[in-house]
Amino acid sequence: MGLRAYVARRILQLIVTFWAFFTLLFVLFRMMPGDPTSMFIMDGMTPEQREQRIAELGLDQPLYVQYVEYARQLLTGDFGQSFIYRDPVIDIIVVRFMNTIVLMGTALVIAYLIGITFGAIMGWWRDSRFERGGIVVTLIARSSPEFWVGIVLLSVFAFWLGWFPSSGMRTTGGELGGGFVARYGSADFLRHLFLPALTGAIVYLATPTLLMRSTMLDVLNADFIEIKKAEGLPERTVLYKHAARNSILPIVTVMAIATGAAMGGSVVIETVFNWPGMGREMVNAVNNNDYPLAMAAFFLMGSVVIIMNFIADLTYVYLDPRVEYE
Amino acid sequence: MSTERTSPIDSATGAVGDGLDYVRTKLEVFEGDRLGQIGLAILVTFLLIGIFARPYTIEFLDLTIPGLTPHDPGERAVGGRLESPSADHPLGTTDMGRDVLSQLIAGTRVTLIVGSLAAFMAVFIGTNVGLVSAYFGGWVDDVLMRITDIVYGVPFLPFAIVLVAILGSSLVNIIVAIVLILWRSTARVIRSQVLSHKQRPYVESAQAIGASHTRIMYRHILPNVLPLTFLYAAFAVGWAVIAEASLSFLGFGDPNMLSWGEMIYNVYTANAIREAWWWVFPPGIAIMLFVMSVFFIGRTLEEVVNPELRHQK
Amino acid sequence: MTLLDITELKTYYRADDGWVRATDDVSLSIDRGETVGLVGESGSGKTTLAKSIIRLLPDNAEVVDGSIDFDGTEVTELSNRELRKQIRWSEISMIPQNAMNGFDPVYTVGEQIVEVITYHEDTSKAEARERARTLFDDLGVDPDRVDDYPHQFSGGMAQRAMIALALALSPSLVLADEPTTALDVVIQDRILETIKELQEELNSAMIMITHDMSVVSETCDRIAVVYGGRIVEIADAETIIMNPRHPYTLGLRNAFPDISDDDQELISIPGTPPDLVDPDDGCRFAPRCPFAEEECWEVTPEPESYGDGHAVECHRADEIEHLQEEAGKKETWVEQDLGRSEEIEPSPPEEVELDD
Repeated sequence: MGLRAYVARRILQLIVTFWAFFTLLFVLFRMMPGDPTSMFIMDGMTPEQREQRIAELGLDQPLYVQYVEYARQLLTGDFGQSFIYRDPVIDIIVVRFMNTIVLMGTALVIAYLIGITFGAIMGWWRDSRFERGGIVVTLIARSSPEFWVGIVLLSVFAFWLGWFPSSGMRTTGGELGGGFVARYGSADFLRHLFLPALTGAIVYLATPTLLMRSTMLDVLNADFIEIKKAEGLPERTVLYKHAARNSILPIVTVMAIATGAAMGGSVVIETVFNWPGMGREMVNAVNNNDYPLAMAAFFLMGSVVIIMNFIADLTYVYLDPRVEYE
Repeated sequence: MSTERTSPIDSATGAVGDGLDYVRTKLEVFEGDRLGQIGLAILVTFLLIGIFARPYTIEFLDLTIPGLTPHDPGERAVGGRLESPSADHPLGTTDMGRDVLSQLIAGTRVTLIVGSLAAFMAVFIGTNVGLVSAYFGGWVDDVLMRITDIVYGVPFLPFAIVLVAILGSSLVNIIVAIVLILWRSTARVIRSQVLSHKQRPYVESAQAIGASHTRIMYRHILPNVLPLTFLYAAFAVGWAVIAEASLSFLGFGDPNMLSWGEMIYNVYTANAIREAWWWVFPPGIAIMLFVMSVFFIGRTLEEVVNPELRHQK
Repeated sequence: MTLLDITELKTYYRADDGWVRATDDVSLSIDRGETVGLVGESGSGKTTLAKSIIRLLPDNAEVVDGSIDFDGTEVTELSNRELRKQIRWSEISMIPQNAMNGFDPVYTVGEQIVEVITYHEDTSKAEARERARTLFDDLGVDPDRVDDYPHQFSGGMAQRAMIALALALSPSLVLADEPTTALDVVIQDRILETIKELQEELNSAMIMITHDMSVVSETCDRIAVVYGGRIVEIADAETIIMNPRHPYTLGLRNAFPDISDDDQELISIPGTPPDLVDPDDGCRFAPRCPFAEEECWEVTPEPESYGDGHAVECHRADEIEHLQEEAGKKETWVEQDLGRSEEIEPSPPEEVELDD
């Protein structure tokens, strides 16, 4: 199979996964306890209004009609109306989504940059004190749930030292800039970003570090490393250009999984730091029975993970010339 | 060949001896591995605390074994509101005047239950899926692996939140939510391991003598991938405990079973995070220590499974 | 003209229970353009000896004593940087056993050849690439294949590409570690021929490591037989093949088919290579030697010269006519007859990780 056929097959797989995912969502949100319509109904309605609302939402239709309608709405980005905000869900979620991406994206990039470098060095200096210490530190970081790391950082840097703000995304009263840079580049924003992003970075650091170390150990046993050393190339070249470059391949696959973890983690980190992102919005929505909003948030998180898996597979093909397209 | 006859008692003690030997050989992997030993020690401590957390009454002996908790963890106003640590309340009190130390000790149980049950079930499902998928191959493999892929597309915590919101906040539902996601990694890893075992001569010879599929899978292949299963079980315990703690921290915990995560949730809802360090830090440290212990043990097992990782020396 | 002069080299590995004497008191000198074969079983220390020359030893190995004089430079005393700049690849290169694994899988073969040329020489990438293409052509590989990845080569092609890499800087010495073992016999011969031709053209010396007598007999000027970390016999190729004096060499010769002799019976040497952890005095081959006498168990034999650079480490090397005849018989190499007469069998050697 050629590259093109592989990509085509992978796209097909992507579509199937998406379909399975939103079917799962449909089933989940129709499984709500009690009257399946009650969750869509706001309190204080007369029976007539209620009937009308049900008809509006198409809930009097047979299940398969509802399913088709639901699919159509999701595909067109129509997530319905939020119960609490009384605005279209899409308008609320887009802003929150961006905030989450900025926060978790920063955390992941930091975690992977540091993790890959650290792991490579740990593998290279096998059996050194640096390696042993590094393993203990990463294992401890990995053992800590996001909220716990967040609380520790919060207690130390916000409450005790007072260096960073403890919650939110910008100081209240601060001007909301128009453009992306004004919005996400201001010093005030970065000060708010620091602690939550650091929390994520610490928690997600362990996976790339440990994986990089263990694949490094594998790669370092390969004959070609010995040849590269025999070629007289500087140690740095052998380490980064050859050993690390080969070890990085499995990391690419894991990155997709890490994005999934980060999407989940955003729920916790945003709650701890009161970050106005999608994760916190989702918790609020579930707590307030605002199901359209909760569902939209869940849908977007899942989509990010599925698309990341897809990108990871394609990147892998690009990075490893040996890949056989099954 | 010995001509001596062995009595049943001898063979029974022999069996016990063999059993102990077996355990000892299994524990040998921890020898010289400081991290693994620390992990084991912490885990055993938590196990003991969990088992003896609350009083036991053995009725026909009319005996009560006292629990470890100095107070009833749910009882209000055993002390003042938000008291800092004192001799009477070594870890202070909550906003309702409950004893933090007692809550911490009682919370060990929830952690142990969630950790062991969820991990066992997830690894059980994952191992079977991986085994069947790899052994039969073809469309069975395709279907099972596509399902695994799809589960990989589901973000863990949000899914658990939605499921618990639908099914209600109980420990059982939390465990179900965790298991439904957690089996995926075991399935993938076991599958790839079984794929390589499938090619080996011992499987072919078992097939040649006409052993059934079930027999080959469970009697011949499974024992060979079991070390890997244990490794993933150790990790699964860690992830399950983290997931339960996170869910409880977000307020979706079982309201009838106080867990460490829920204690921290209570601190948040009581708005006491700034002042009541004695209430926040103990449960957080406990979670971290517990998960750390299983990850340390997991690392030791990892070196057994993958000797490449082992330290020279 | 001597290119490489190794004197009394001792390279040991640290093990739990002492030092593994992988190379123990070895002296060897090689002239420019000369090809020397190192023959021995795996674990005999021949690879360790070769890797000591470019100091490519694992962390637990150490050159304990001795000197390695390469063209007037004492290799053991060079700093890492000097070693990299002056010796590695520009003067001494190597060809590994499995060429496929010798290339980094994520770069094309051409990129890797260019990398090493441009690092050591002041050459532009384009020129380096042109040289790679020429080398490919010389070795009988389509020059356009420099842009292929290693996994796209067949075993024989990969080996040729590896030779191209090894000769890219026209080194004065090439260390070839079983360069053809992984290949089938026909390709093996052709590649050996190619290596010879190019080597003569560049006037490079070569150390050919192998356990295969037939390979060395075809390619080498001189042959050193390695056993238990020592060179037990060394002479020109013809002498080693036709008139060896060490029982181990006799045994090795038995174990390989001689194409000219149809009736030849293949006889293998019983037993296993010796334990090299702090060995006692005595000949290391004694436990497996059908001719071992009391003296062999107690006194380590010193190399004795038999003229024309033929040196042998054996107490009974003088009785050669008798031994050669005996060694050709299968009954001589029977396991039961081995071992020191009045003693119990020596305990089996512990498994030691050698870099072999």
